[in-house]
Amino acid sequence: MAETVRMTTLVEQGMALVGERNDLRRRLENTRNRLQDPSVRVIVVGEFKQGKSQLVNALVNAPVCPVDDDIATTVPTVIRQGDPASAVVLVPSADGPTPDAGLEGDSGGPEGGLERQPVHLDQLAEYVSEKGNPGNAKKIVAAEVLLPRKLLAGGLTVVDSPGVGGLGSTHTLTTLTALPSAHAVVFVSDASQEYTEPEMRFLRQAMRISPNVVCVLSKTDLYPSWRQIAELDRKHLADVGPGIPLFPVSSELRLQAARLQDTELNAESGFPALIAHLRNNIVGEAARIQRRSVGHDLLSVTENLRLALQSELGALENPEGTPQMIAGLKAAKEDADQLRKRSARWQITLNDGIGDLIADMEYDLKDRLRRIQREAETAIDHGDPGPAWEQFTQWLEQSTAAAVSDTFVWTSERAQWLATQVADHFSEDEVALPALKVSDTGGVLDPVADIQMMEDGRLGPLQKVLIGMRGSYGGVLMFGLLTGIFGMALINPLSVGAGLLLGRKAFREDKAARLKQRQSEAKILVRKHVDDVVFQVGKQLKDRLRLVQRATRDHFTEIAEEHHRSLAESVAAAQKAAATYAVERDMRIKDIRNQLKGVDALSKAAQQVQEDQSLENQPNQAPSAVPAG
Amino acid sequence: MEPGIAGAWELLRQARDVFHDDAAALAVVADLQDRLEGPLRIAVAGMVKAGKSTLLNAIIGEEIAPTDAGECTRVVTWYRYGHTPKITLYPFTGGPRTLPVTREDGRLVFSLGDVQAGVVERLVVDWPAASLRDLTLIDTPGIASLSQDVSGRSTAFLLPEDAPMAADAVIYLMRHLHASDVRFLESFKDTAAGQSGTVNALAVLSRADEIGAGRIDSLISAAVIADRYSRDQSLRPLALGVVPVAGLLAQSSRTMRQSDVEAMKQLAQMDKNHRERLMLSADRFVRVAGPEGLDQDMKASLVQRFGLFGIRLAVALIRGGTTDPTELAHELARRSGLGRLLDTIEYLFQTRADALKARAAVVGLQSLLGVAPTGRTASLEAALERLQTGAHEFRELKLLAALRTGGIGIGPEQTAEAERLVGGRGSTVALRLGLEPDASAGHISEAARDCLNRWRLIAENPLTDPSGLEACRVVIRSCEGMLAAMPAVR
Repeated sequence: MAETVRMTTLVEQGMALVGERNDLRRRLENTRNRLQDPSVRVIVVGEFKQGKSQLVNALVNAPVCPVDDDIATTVPTVIRQGDPASAVVLVPSADGPTPDAGLEGDSGGPEGGLERQPVHLDQLAEYVSEKGNPGNAKKIVAAEVLLPRKLLAGGLTVVDSPGVGGLGSTHTLTTLTALPSAHAVVFVSDASQEYTEPEMRFLRQAMRISPNVVCVLSKTDLYPSWRQIAELDRKHLADVGPGIPLFPVSSELRLQAARLQDTELNAESGFPALIAHLRNNIVGEAARIQRRSVGHDLLSVTENLRLALQSELGALENPEGTPQMIAGLKAAKEDADQLRKRSARWQITLNDGIGDLIADMEYDLKDRLRRIQREAETAIDHGDPGPAWEQFTQWLEQSTAAAVSDTFVWTSERAQWLATQVADHFSEDEVALPALKVSDTGGVLDPVADIQMMEDGRLGPLQKVLIGMRGSYGGVLMFGLLTGIFGMALINPLSVGAGLLLGRKAFREDKAARLKQRQSEAKILVRKHVDDVVFQVGKQLKDRLRLVQRATRDHFTEIAEEHHRSLAESVAAAQKAAATYAVERDMRIKDIRNQLKGVDALSKAAQQVQEDQSLENQPNQAPSAVPAG
Repeated sequence: MEPGIAGAWELLRQARDVFHDDAAALAVVADLQDRLEGPLRIAVAGMVKAGKSTLLNAIIGEEIAPTDAGECTRVVTWYRYGHTPKITLYPFTGGPRTLPVTREDGRLVFSLGDVQAGVVERLVVDWPAASLRDLTLIDTPGIASLSQDVSGRSTAFLLPEDAPMAADAVIYLMRHLHASDVRFLESFKDTAAGQSGTVNALAVLSRADEIGAGRIDSLISAAVIADRYSRDQSLRPLALGVVPVAGLLAQSSRTMRQSDVEAMKQLAQMDKNHRERLMLSADRFVRVAGPEGLDQDMKASLVQRFGLFGIRLAVALIRGGTTDPTELAHELARRSGLGRLLDTIEYLFQTRADALKARAAVVGLQSLLGVAPTGRTASLEAALERLQTGAHEFRELKLLAALRTGGIGIGPEQTAEAERLVGGRGSTVALRLGLEPDASAGHISEAARDCLNRWRLIAENPLTDPSGLEACRVVIRSCEGMLAAMPAVR
């Protein structure tokens, strides 16, 4: 924590120095807010039944995630630092979810429209497991557990996810959509066999979204040949990408070790290596990035401050050169002014890019959904949609959700690319990119209405009799009247026979007509659903892209503004200096020298923060020394 | 109505006449004849590392199929009965060749030499094992493998596009119900059942001991999960049942040696706390100095062949008083679920082996006729058609498939009863009627008559859905068949 405190002090010093420059102050305030929310999300993923929950339990040494021989986890569980130990579940609030902006910081996540219900820690299993909450009937979005643990103190947040690859492939989706918000992904596979094709496919997909992947080979206690499997897996990983670490662990041994307080057993479980990696590389890396961005912010603030001070000082000390200096500054100001204007080239790039992106995104979404619609219509044509409607709607919902999440990931990649494209217009060596998050699909499909139910086409006995009667009625009457000519009664064997025949025919025809009707009704429902999805999701995606546009624009405008303002102030200061009397001049020089000293000191400290190596070797000493991410 | 198998023989005889001058067609007919004569062919399929070869060894009762920690089976391998051990390699093109029979630790070593796995259609192993007398087993490479061509070979064998499948039934191994499993079974049903209208796959929840992380009650949990899967809507139409089996234990218990039993006994005599600490992990079990007289090699072999679950179970049994080696092996085999699997194979597949084989012959002939010039095969086609619609066994199989997919116009209770009566839970009379296996003849015929009367009433009920009538007719015919087999009481 010491590191965070140190950086916060530095940022506060910077805020004291900026004086009247509100733009710089705002920037430093943002930096401080980021510092105060240290959260490194590590999401544990993998196929079902690979021991993900047990791994999380072993990591924190507490039975927080339910473990079962059958499928256990249905709801993602978030575990973070907190004292005393407590748990909450997140359920959609009654007043309906509000579409969130998708651009907020890392920690918040999509919590708009969610209600937090505190639950007892022991009863958590009743909410997050398949047993206590079959098919997630309680509609829980996520569960959160706070635990006082040294491991978590550095801001590490562990997320246990439902397994992928099971029959409910919605689980896969929930997991994939959670990935963009994660700093790192822990991919779990057990030691019974090498990676399978679906696992590798998932791994590749996950790497596309979150490139920081750690692989864990679980259950090494159970399989004598785990070393061989680990070797095979390492080979497969090398095919995917270089430098993906693999840690063989045994959760059982680690839990046993905690029970017996046996360090030898703990070492054997393989966990120390995994934890060290999480601490040094994941949390450490996040901290490094944090440190670098804090340093960057501070440095750029000091640069801006120094520019004005130094030009004034130059003008005071060297009055002859002032006009030249002012001319140079003015030219630079002109350039900065250009960047500020709406007609600046980067603005055009951004606007055009977003326009293209929206058009492409709409086309992409419609194309994906049209394919699903076509598939659905073929399926409907092949049979009676009535009895299987429930499964059918499930399939439809899942495939639309998958299509939407694909579009989101794709859009997010494009948005990031656009931002770098815009940044290229700035000549500064390192322009920070805005944090954009489009790929988070949580709650996107919420405003889409459920697919309507359809009657399953089963007729009750009474209905059948009525339909039959309707047909037979005419037959009986017709033939009854006809045979009446020969003096027979209206109801006679002939007329009844004809009635039966016609009734049967009417019943058959009615059945065929009903099937047709059901098929066309089903198609209409599918079309309506797809339209609804395109409409709602398209709107939300557009909104998000507009937000991306606005965020990107504001971000870069701010940089341009700061730059411009610094230059303008420098010009003003230099001009003012030229008109200053000799007596005041000496005092002013002294004053500026003092201010510059402060700025230099801060700049030096910022540089140190950015390049600091000394702290990185500390985490092993005590977990509390792990800098917050 | 002639029974299916006799009809199939007759058909093949006719086919021989019709194709007397067509060597290629005659070869196919001869193949089909072989198939009718030979034992039932059961393929063992599943995802990679589901334990196919291990289970196959367990069923044969000898550790002959090679198994390994990594992916192992790469070529479709047939195991059939032969007086002397022999391995034959059948390439896609060219004649078969004989491979040398070499064994390493008892397991066969297939040295393909300079032949690429890709050009091998299949390996055929002739082996003098009693259990292979009435069953030919086919080992297949795993699906969802990382090497596409290995999976491809399996798919090509199990889901052929243009020919009937070479196996009469499939034992499908899965560790949990993975989406890939369901996809495979669906396409399996689409090809196999599309042609013959039946469900002939039995799902096995393999490596059942690992489900409960090797705890001593693992198989009880596995049984609960298997039960849930067997009721799962997506699996029901695809497989006839789900049986949990601990393959490794099943294999090793059938090949258990005296030295294994001695080692287990030594373990059982250890101090409880000490033993539990020893058995915390497979690594520890081998590494930590164990009971006197057990060296590391022996322990490594034990844990390799029995798994921690097997050792725990054996120790518990010995401590419970089962010290006789034969008895111990039997008990282990029983607990591994192998017995139940063999019983299930027996009553689901063996008791209707004739029908399954005849159906395979019919489908084979059909695809032969599909490519032959039409003119001269007209009479053969008519006979084929007659057999397909006429033979009661085929109609039973077809109804069974329809019942499992649902959508027959009768209620759920009646669906369950119909499924049982046409032999969905086993083809013996007692199983069909839901009676104890040792029920008396009088009891059986009484029950059969009850069913017959009840189903006649259902068929005559005007409110019964017309689509259900066909089902009723088949069920009534099945009941009549059962009654006809009980002449003494009638």
